[in-house]
Amino acid sequence: MTTPLVVLATVAALVVAALGGLSTALRRRTGLAHLAAAGVLELVLLVQLVVVLVQLAGGVRPPETATFLAYLLSVVLVPVAGVLWSRTEPTRWAGTVLAVAALVVAVMVWRLLQLWEATGA
Amino acid sequence: MPDRLGAPAAGGDDAGTTARGPGRVLVAVYGTFALAAGARAAVQLATQFDEAPVAYLLSAFSAAVYLVATVGLARGGRSGRRTAVVACVVELVGVLVVGTLSLADRAAFPDATVWSVYGQGYGFVPLALPVLGLLWLRHLAELDREAAKGGPPPAGSAPPADPAPTG
Repeated sequence: MTTPLVVLATVAALVVAALGGLSTALRRRTGLAHLAAAGVLELVLLVQLVVVLVQLAGGVRPPETATFLAYLLSVVLVPVAGVLWSRTEPTRWAGTVLAVAALVVAVMVWRLLQLWEATGA
Repeated sequence: MPDRLGAPAAGGDDAGTTARGPGRVLVAVYGTFALAAGARAAVQLATQFDEAPVAYLLSAFSAAVYLVATVGLARGGRSGRRTAVVACVVELVGVLVVGTLSLADRAAFPDATVWSVYGQGYGFVPLALPVLGLLWLRHLAELDREAAKGGPPPAGSAPPADPAPTG
């Protein structure tokens, strides 16, 4: 678990959220730009998942392991859920739904880092 | 090229339903909170129930309320909306009472709940959410009443202008 990866994920999430807000403002549904940005976000999250799993395998244990693992696994699913949901929404609010999902990711990665750093190592 | 930002949206983005349009955003946020509060309560109850039973049972209760609100908003319709109104009111009362108690009697809340200090741990979203929910539900009820008065709603056209304040 490293801060640069969390920052990267946050930036990607904010880009997705901005694109979502933009398409709502322009009265559009979501398009290729949203898919690409959400894909980048998902990629960063997957890299983070692998990095953390390697560290966990190396014997590092955050104190609230159950909570940490729940966050770790569910944060990967949030962008997927957001994209699927926004694709089925025919109104301009599709982008806002995706933006909400992205903001949730941005909050969750920082909470993850907090849980990880409580390791006290 | 403009499709990169998405095709033009379907009309009626102010459609009077919680199943489409801006109501969906509300459903998304409520769903997130139902999940977050539920997962948190499950972990707390399973691993450390003895430490702060009141706080953890409250977490479980708030998760249930969020779940009911999510389902009510997602289903829409008359009964779904009534369910959502009740859930939103319970939620508002809950966040106000628990928020106040958590400030007044810290000993009773050694560990935080979703509603502690008016939802501070969650960016005060738990405080704003029921208010937004109730406002949106009231807006829907008004649309309904107008539709009942003036025949079918103007589907796909511009949202109806606000009625002039009377009496």
